[in-house]
Amino acid sequence: MTTPFSLEDRWASTTGHVTGLALLFMSVGMFVSAIVGLVAGSAGLALLGAAAITAFLGIGLWWTTRTGALDHATVFTAVGGTWVVASMVGAIPYLLAGTFAVAGRPWAVVVADALFESISGYTATGATVFGGHNQIADQGAGILLYRQLTQWAGGMGIVVLVVTVLPSLRASGLGLIDAEAPGMGVDRLAPRVRDTAIRFWRLYLGLTVIIAVGFLVAGMGPFDAVAHALTTASTGGFSTRDASIGYWDSVAVESVLIVALIVAAASFTLHSHSWSRKRIIHFGDHEFRGFLSVLGICTLVVSTLLALDGMAPARALRIGLFNVVTLGTSGGFGNATGAGSDGDWVRWAAGSQMVLLFLLVFGGCTGSTAGGVKIMRLRVGIAHAARTLHGFRRPRALLPVRQGTATLPDSLVERVAGFMVVYGMLVVGGTVLVAALGTDLVTAVSGVIGSLGNMGPVLGDAGPTASFVDGFPTPARLVLALLMLVGRLEIFPMLLMLVAPYRLFRGAARQTRHPGH
Amino acid sequence: MIFTAPASQRSAAGTGPPRASWTSAGAQAVAAALGGLSLLAISSGLVDLLGAGDDTTVFLLTGTLSGLAAAWLLVLIRPPGRVRDSHVLSGVAVALPLLVGLLAGLHLLVGSTTSVVDALAEATAGLTTTALGAIEPAGSDHGLRFLRAATQWAGGLGALFVGVAILPFFGAGREFADRSRIRGRRPMTPTQRIALRNILIVYGTASVATWLAYGVAGLSIFDALLVAMATVSTGGIVDGDPFARPAVQWVAVGGMVVAGTSLVVLWRLTVGRARGLWRSAELRVYLGLLVIGTALFLLWTDGAGPDGVRHAAFTTTAAVTTTGFPSAPAGTWSAAVPVLLLGLVSIGPMTGSAGGGFQILRHRALLQVALREMVRQIHPRAVLRVRLGGWVAAEDTLARVVVTQFLSVSVLFVTALAVAVLGLDVVPALGAAVHAVSTAGPVRALDGTVLDPSAWPAPTRLALLPAMVIGRLSIYPALVALSAGVAVCRNRIRLARRIRSYRGRTL
Repeated sequence: MTTPFSLEDRWASTTGHVTGLALLFMSVGMFVSAIVGLVAGSAGLALLGAAAITAFLGIGLWWTTRTGALDHATVFTAVGGTWVVASMVGAIPYLLAGTFAVAGRPWAVVVADALFESISGYTATGATVFGGHNQIADQGAGILLYRQLTQWAGGMGIVVLVVTVLPSLRASGLGLIDAEAPGMGVDRLAPRVRDTAIRFWRLYLGLTVIIAVGFLVAGMGPFDAVAHALTTASTGGFSTRDASIGYWDSVAVESVLIVALIVAAASFTLHSHSWSRKRIIHFGDHEFRGFLSVLGICTLVVSTLLALDGMAPARALRIGLFNVVTLGTSGGFGNATGAGSDGDWVRWAAGSQMVLLFLLVFGGCTGSTAGGVKIMRLRVGIAHAARTLHGFRRPRALLPVRQGTATLPDSLVERVAGFMVVYGMLVVGGTVLVAALGTDLVTAVSGVIGSLGNMGPVLGDAGPTASFVDGFPTPARLVLALLMLVGRLEIFPMLLMLVAPYRLFRGAARQTRHPGH
Repeated sequence: MIFTAPASQRSAAGTGPPRASWTSAGAQAVAAALGGLSLLAISSGLVDLLGAGDDTTVFLLTGTLSGLAAAWLLVLIRPPGRVRDSHVLSGVAVALPLLVGLLAGLHLLVGSTTSVVDALAEATAGLTTTALGAIEPAGSDHGLRFLRAATQWAGGLGALFVGVAILPFFGAGREFADRSRIRGRRPMTPTQRIALRNILIVYGTASVATWLAYGVAGLSIFDALLVAMATVSTGGIVDGDPFARPAVQWVAVGGMVVAGTSLVVLWRLTVGRARGLWRSAELRVYLGLLVIGTALFLLWTDGAGPDGVRHAAFTTTAAVTTTGFPSAPAGTWSAAVPVLLLGLVSIGPMTGSAGGGFQILRHRALLQVALREMVRQIHPRAVLRVRLGGWVAAEDTLARVVVTQFLSVSVLFVTALAVAVLGLDVVPALGAAVHAVSTAGPVRALDGTVLDPSAWPAPTRLALLPAMVIGRLSIYPALVALSAGVAVCRNRIRLARRIRSYRGRTL
């Protein structure tokens, strides 16, 4: 015997079920922000309303659906769909609070700005539409905390969070995590997938707490420390200040941020193994060593160029190190104290900007919260190219692609190659589209690369002291927001999320045409 | 692949033991460079007699001496017992920079410039058919003007030899060669020897036809010859502004379109087997690129009327075919136009043409790889084949195309970084790097103004030269040579270290 809304009566939709639960989690974040907003006396009711709407939508979706098929196509639909819906619903607090309803701006632009900020938040990109016309300092604590929380939730992944409380997914949950997590596959940290997800989130939470304490010790106030810890652990880059980290102009704050960003951009699997073995094993990992090498070399080059350009050597090292790390980890914080100051990389010589452009492409390590192509893919690409060139000299030799002592299977090498090709095509296509919408070459190309890599501020007119409103017209910003989603899910889930619905409709249409089959 | 030289060749080459493959390849590269210089110098010397004849002696003397040296080397060379792919590619890669050096020396000898950097830049731009020349000769200097044009023409011919008759036979892109005899077809490149002959026929015919067309359009016979050479080779280096007349500009558009067309297509047109050509997806994409590029250019530059269409067609065709004839910006350029032109230059013309860039067939291969990867995400165990031009492409070929893209982007980025560090701004640095790797030109500012490379600092111009050479060699020969060189050095160092340690143990 079945009761209304018993499990059997529910609609078998993995996408709906996962999305509903994700919305419920989001509503918790909104609710916390609402409390802070009510206490601070700013936008509390708007956030409360947004939390209620989101919770209602979430419960509605979750209660009426159950976990259905979990083939590859459905996994992509579930993950892609969850992110699209979460990004759209995430704009509701901004709309209800009137955050972007600046006088003279049409409602369509206000909606687009709210959507952009929401997507930039959940994808942990850090690009913002706040700026001279609408300053961050004018926003209340509630909205600011909500903004930081969007990045924190997006950093480790909303779907990973869902997997922690959804036992019905069982082993298929790993597919969901794999589709959402940055990198070339996810390592199981525990025999059960749910336990793996819980471990990831525990590590993430622990890291956030440690970073917050670090910021407090370095001289930040409690609210700023917690807010920045949320966006540092997620390598997001949102700040509660218009000048970002440049507001403090403090070596201590910058040092904490640099260390924290490097840790957040390293593989969480490495952190977990280090934790369980009670010793640091990071330096034995080839990818992490490569990552540090890239950061070190780029810092050296940028600092030298800045010093040659007339900056004092110590200052050049500080500015160079901070900005290389913040872009090399896809953090996107800035230490410019104002337009034209030392940290405003748009004013740097062209050579330094080219190094930053390189860093925009490759982010951190696989299995981290960082965006970008990832150092591992760069290494595999180089090894594959070296093998191909070596093959000319040794045509009959069987040459494997190695990473350290491990031999990579050809299927993985092909997967990396395919990813690079699709990534390149998206960069070229996106640049042409964004430029066609009225953006200059450097801003367009760096904006597209930065959005795909979830980086934050870029070169050209959208630098660290500028807003994306200055650099890109509204339609171009929407294109960039879409690219942020594509980049956050490492391209394929977003591109393939419509395959399962298409199959469903095609099957239904066939059934209608040939009822007997 | 390893070829064993036929017995007839071995006996004809001498009675001594066969040389090592790399020795032979190196010697042949030197001989080819000397021979190339000889032909260019002697022909320029003879043409110089049409003008003042000031440089005739230097040209003829240099040509004769280098020709004798080349002949002496060719007599000495004995074919190796076996030919290795990597050595052939290394030989090709060595020959081009060697010829660049020799040509630069010739420029200094005849006094076209006193700057070594200018001479090197001019020689490299000419031989790699990159429209970033550094010398502006006087109108009466017939020998020098002919040398510039002939250098480009030779560079275009060399690019065709490498792309159609060498790379497909030595391990890089066998699928890109026209070797099928199915249904009684006469392929263009059944063997290397026939490929060389057919390339000469088609390239020569196209050159003569373009020359005549320019003559009919109103250029003098000599100017028409020089511009025709720059057009057919996709070199793009011309003296002054020969495209002032609309008729000349239209002839240039036609010539560039032909130069960017695959030699296989031109060959089939020549032998009267044009039926079915339209089925070539690459040809359709090429023509579509020209039409769509022209339309977008018109749209984004507020162009209108016949003059606007002509200007758009000229600029777009110069970009797609990587010819790079200069043209002043017409109308107001929107922000998208520089991106459009850079994109078109990067895509390039058809594979198997004299043009540079990544070329359309390789882009199609990349697109197929991307689509296959997407399907694989849904069906991880599916066996998926990629088809190119009706044939199933080998996995090796696809891997090489992907690696070529990776290496091209790497070379592009390193070049852009180098020229940016050496003084160019970000936009010109990116533009210069893209044009150098694609062997195109000219570099433009965001408003469409053509930038003058000779105004750039000398180190900046020097930093662009390796990218031009690597781009002209289609990446592989240069990098195979580089990796072979690195391997030789590494092996020598290892050997020396072992000998030292052995001696240390025995003493």
